[in-house]
Amino acid sequence: MMAIALYGKGGIGKSTLASNIAAALGSEGIRTILVGCDPKADSTINLLGRRIQPLLEVMRNEKKPPPERFTAIGFNGVVCVEIGGPEPGVGCAGRGLIIGIRYLSEMLDLEKFDLAIFDVPADIVCGGLAVVVKEGYAERALIVTSDEFMSLYAANNLCRGFMSIGAKVGGLIYNKASKSGMRYVASFSQRVGLPILGSVPLSQEIKIAETKRKTLIEMSPFSNISSKLISLAHSIYENSFSMVPKWIPVDDLEGIFLESA
Amino acid sequence: MSVIIHPRPSPTAAAMYTLRDLDVDVIVIHGPSGCCFRPARLLEKDGVKVVTSALLEDDFVFGSEGKLAKILRRVEDLFKPKLIGLVGSCASMIIGEDLKKAAREAGLLHKTICCYVHSGSGDNTVGAIVALKEAASMGLISFSEFERQKKMLEMATMLERTRGTARGEYIDNRQGDPPKEVARKILGVLSSGGMVTCVLNAKKETAFLYADVILAIYEASRRLGGRIQVLANLAPDIGLPRVRSYSKQILERFWREGVIVDSLTGGLDEYPLAGERAKDLILQSPPDLAVISGIPHAVPVEGAVRTVAVSVGSRAVANLKILGYDYVVGERDAHQLSLGRDKEIRKSLLGDAIRKGIGR
Repeated sequence: MMAIALYGKGGIGKSTLASNIAAALGSEGIRTILVGCDPKADSTINLLGRRIQPLLEVMRNEKKPPPERFTAIGFNGVVCVEIGGPEPGVGCAGRGLIIGIRYLSEMLDLEKFDLAIFDVPADIVCGGLAVVVKEGYAERALIVTSDEFMSLYAANNLCRGFMSIGAKVGGLIYNKASKSGMRYVASFSQRVGLPILGSVPLSQEIKIAETKRKTLIEMSPFSNISSKLISLAHSIYENSFSMVPKWIPVDDLEGIFLESA
Repeated sequence: MSVIIHPRPSPTAAAMYTLRDLDVDVIVIHGPSGCCFRPARLLEKDGVKVVTSALLEDDFVFGSEGKLAKILRRVEDLFKPKLIGLVGSCASMIIGEDLKKAAREAGLLHKTICCYVHSGSGDNTVGAIVALKEAASMGLISFSEFERQKKMLEMATMLERTRGTARGEYIDNRQGDPPKEVARKILGVLSSGGMVTCVLNAKKETAFLYADVILAIYEASRRLGGRIQVLANLAPDIGLPRVRSYSKQILERFWREGVIVDSLTGGLDEYPLAGERAKDLILQSPPDLAVISGIPHAVPVEGAVRTVAVSVGSRAVANLKILGYDYVVGERDAHQLSLGRDKEIRKSLLGDAIRKGIGR
């Protein structure tokens, strides 16, 4: 069983990629579970075409809910779970993730899957959001980034966090990719010692699919972008590389952009 | 970085005691039901209702301002309080709970003193200052009274850091000297016609325990002779009404027993300042023995005169021994003994030993 966790700057496309990767591998008979770890509970929406009740909400009413109360089967047989969390501005999402993930792993035999994908919200701003890799639920993290400075800044910050907790990272996923931006991501990749596992260009098709609450793999399985997503999914599933990453000083990160200007 | 690793008083508990002094009827702890359990029980003995919002994991994750508002409403229905104290806890403050929002939602903000404090807020006096500041902003006390108390609390913090149990990384627990042995020393000075200066330098209600030492020494002096000087921080016109009433009550008892207070060194909430005044008076005319009860380390005369220090807590006893007080008596828990609706001077271990020493 392989377990990976997707991290990256907020809005960079982690959930979009996670659900499309799951859909692509699911279609090949790879038993996949997608665990949404964002309090918004929207990681699995495009696999299911609907929202499901998050685990933490189920647990508020029922202290020991069985798996069928918080799992749903999505497109291509992907098992979907949303951990959930508080409304914005109240409570503690990190604590919720700790409780939810621990309960999930207690109640659900993750070993019966070939692949578990944890879609983790934004940056690892607190210990709770690091729990997925810190406690070993995912054996490696993957960092999703675009070629924008703030996205790479967040990726670098994640590398710093992973280094401090000794967590392994399998590589970078270059989202919203462009030919002109590749050099920035490639330079960053080389400096922090992480390979780029694949890239997906900015796509209107993906946006359209999401408005229909579908993955692009479901809506247009033979499109050019879908083939990119499938290729990325294979690359991730076949990747055995992982290392505790390095991070670079902000001046060096800025240097990547200045050198290329 | 020097870190104090032995247990220390909690800012939340300090806020609760201060709310009691402000005469709130109910204290609501916005936290798990076990938070500040012991101070809560002691304050209940003092006639203050204490409840918690009984936070659980779900509340940490999803927030619990709504639950708190409901509990405040329930408190209103159950106890019809004139004034409510609301304190935070580590859990509720870390997740950013808004106490005032909940009090407003419950329609009780006008009579709720909201204290945004938790046990990681720093020195325990921080909790007391937070409560007093909020009380001042609500018009319950004047800002000048707030400033006076704040100054005292900051002096108390400095005292603890320089001469109290916050001055070392770790201070071990230690038993004091046997009260019987210490009583014999005091009686010996009196029998030989010597002068004993009795210093009461207590904090608020704990004076009801330490005042007994003075009563016992006075009683012994009547039988054995000797001279007595009494210095006490019992000024009846300083502090909150509740604290002033303690001073008045103890002074009345002293008056009935014929105890003459030679000098009022300050109020019962002024022990850091009162201690310095007592020191000056002692050094002006050094006695044969100074018996200092309450917060002896605020009266830095060890080394200058022979001293007996009377305090509570085995860690405080150890600290006083290290500082160099000649004899140190560890009393039973002063809060435990002195809290209660019917305030009166309680029997102390040293007072009992002195009375036994004169055949009482």
